[in-house]
Amino acid sequence: MKNVLSIAVNVIKDAARKKVFYVVFLFGLAIVALSPLLPTFDLGARAQFLRDISLSLTSLFGVVLAVILSVSQIPGEVERRTIYNILSKPVSRLQYLVGKYLGIMVSIAAILLVMGLEIVLLIFIRLHVFTPLIFEGVFAVFLECAVIAAFCVMLSTFATVPVNAFAAVLFYLVCHVKTGFLHQKLVEGAFGVGKVFTWALYYVIPNLEDFNLSQPVGYGGGAGAAYMLRLTAYALLFVVIFMVAAYLVFRSKDL
Amino acid sequence: MEKPAVTLNNIKKSYRTGLRMKRKVAVEDLSLDVTRGDIFGLLGPNGAGKTTTIKVLLGIVFPDEGNGSLLGCPLGDRKAHERLGFLPEQPYFYNFLTAEKGLVLYGKFFGLEHRLLAKRTPELLDLVGLRQDSHLTLDKYSKGMLQRFGIAQALLNDPDLVIMDEPSSGLDPLGQKEVRDILLQLRERGKTIFLSSHQLSEVETICSSVSIVNMGRTVKQGRLDDLLAVRGMTRIIFKGEDPAALDALIPVASDVEQSDGRTVVDVETDVTFRALETAHGLGMEMISATPLRLSLEELFLETIRETAG
Ligand SMILES: Nc1ncnc2c1ncn2[C@@H]1O[C@H](COP(=O)(O)OP(=O)(O)OP(=O)(O)O)[C@@H](O)[C@H]1O
Ligand SMILES: [Mg+2]
Repeated sequence: MKNVLSIAVNVIKDAARKKVFYVVFLFGLAIVALSPLLPTFDLGARAQFLRDISLSLTSLFGVVLAVILSVSQIPGEVERRTIYNILSKPVSRLQYLVGKYLGIMVSIAAILLVMGLEIVLLIFIRLHVFTPLIFEGVFAVFLECAVIAAFCVMLSTFATVPVNAFAAVLFYLVCHVKTGFLHQKLVEGAFGVGKVFTWALYYVIPNLEDFNLSQPVGYGGGAGAAYMLRLTAYALLFVVIFMVAAYLVFRSKDL
Repeated sequence: MEKPAVTLNNIKKSYRTGLRMKRKVAVEDLSLDVTRGDIFGLLGPNGAGKTTTIKVLLGIVFPDEGNGSLLGCPLGDRKAHERLGFLPEQPYFYNFLTAEKGLVLYGKFFGLEHRLLAKRTPELLDLVGLRQDSHLTLDKYSKGMLQRFGIAQALLNDPDLVIMDEPSSGLDPLGQKEVRDILLQLRERGKTIFLSSHQLSEVETICSSVSIVNMGRTVKQGRLDDLLAVRGMTRIIFKGEDPAALDALIPVASDVEQSDGRTVVDVETDVTFRALETAHGLGMEMISATPLRLSLEELFLETIRETAG
């Protein structure tokens, strides 16, 4: 466990050194820049709209960050061969992998937390409305990032960085668009083999659209505790699947 | 009898070099044993498979065939790594860290307590002569300084076995001497050292056993004294280059050479006295008579030539 933590801390320090955490300033600027574009409805509608777009922006930032932080983590260390000296210590490959992932997720969590605070602050300053509910949406974004980062870490055990980044974008698009499309198909009712296939795809591909809470958080009273719990379990399931796959490849890989 | 510190049995390792290309064989059939308390030298020309062998030992790559053990544990068992120190071939360290922080980071992986680390870090930096520059980040280090850092981090856990891939690479003569002294000190404390090297004179002075590999195979292995001794031969060295001595000694000796004001005579040991009598009769002054020994360089070059092609 100590080894996992040491490796995670190193990932976070590395992110800090590369000034990754500065994105929170960028994010702050972005939402401040967007907020004057509000249509001048009543106060409630403006708060809703601001919640919606800032959450979408959080999602965009989070996903990009998850990809950037995770694609080059392992290939970078293999390329620079700093991994040799780590693995010559009593550090197992599993500890290494989990430590890397943990470091990525803690970095993302810290950044998302600050982004959430920025949104609350902005809405409070501009509209004098206090909206802690935004954190429900931010948490869903965090879960989505967890799935995407695990996917990228898995790919990074065998794919090159550009291939991995490209695949990550594809993964993101497929999981957002395709599931909606497949759902449509299912509801409309495909037949026979097609139906089984559609059904299989629908459940095998993580439905990332479920993590988008800009509607319920933006315009309603949130998604509710039960939904959040199910969403967490759903994300965890994919994280575990991807990380197990990553370990199976990484375990016997020549470095 | 104690188990050897390191064993490798018939290791074969090939690398994939491309999607469709043939695999490149780096180690063909390599076996070795390192007795505890020894300084063992793995020798071989460039590309012979030394680094690959070390990577197999450390579980960085996996052999296609064969097996081995480290400190009594099978290869890949992380328990052995707790008592192991490793110096990589090149300074593959996090170069954004200072030497001090680097030692602390690597020390943590050995589960060393903060207090112990705080004490050991300056000691090690002193040992390798980096105390002055301990607050500089490693990317500002010279090659030799990085090598010194590498040696320091290899000793963090006071290891029982130290594996070093070319320990003296990039070091100045003083540094090389310091490393030799460090290694000898370690041996005095009962540690085992496994090193690969091209510095044959260095290996000759410190190693007790060696293994010469060529093209991925072990071609010579044993105690250095046994390998270098030419059995049954004695070398006598006399003062002077008297041509008469040459004629007189040739019938007795296997080899006579005169140069630099000395006459060097190699004889079969049981005729040593006859040679000495002959020389005495000519009034020659003897400097030394010792068992004939090859230099490691001679042995190395001969072995590599024999096994080439
Ligand atoms: N990752 C790799 N992929 C393909 N071939 C490799 C790889 N690593 C090593 N080789 C090949 O394996 C052989 C042995 O390499 P190795 O690095 O073990 O040699 P070495 O004895 O350490 O040489 P040197 O004295 O130059 O350090 C070489 O022919 C090299 O080309
Ligand atoms: Mg080498």
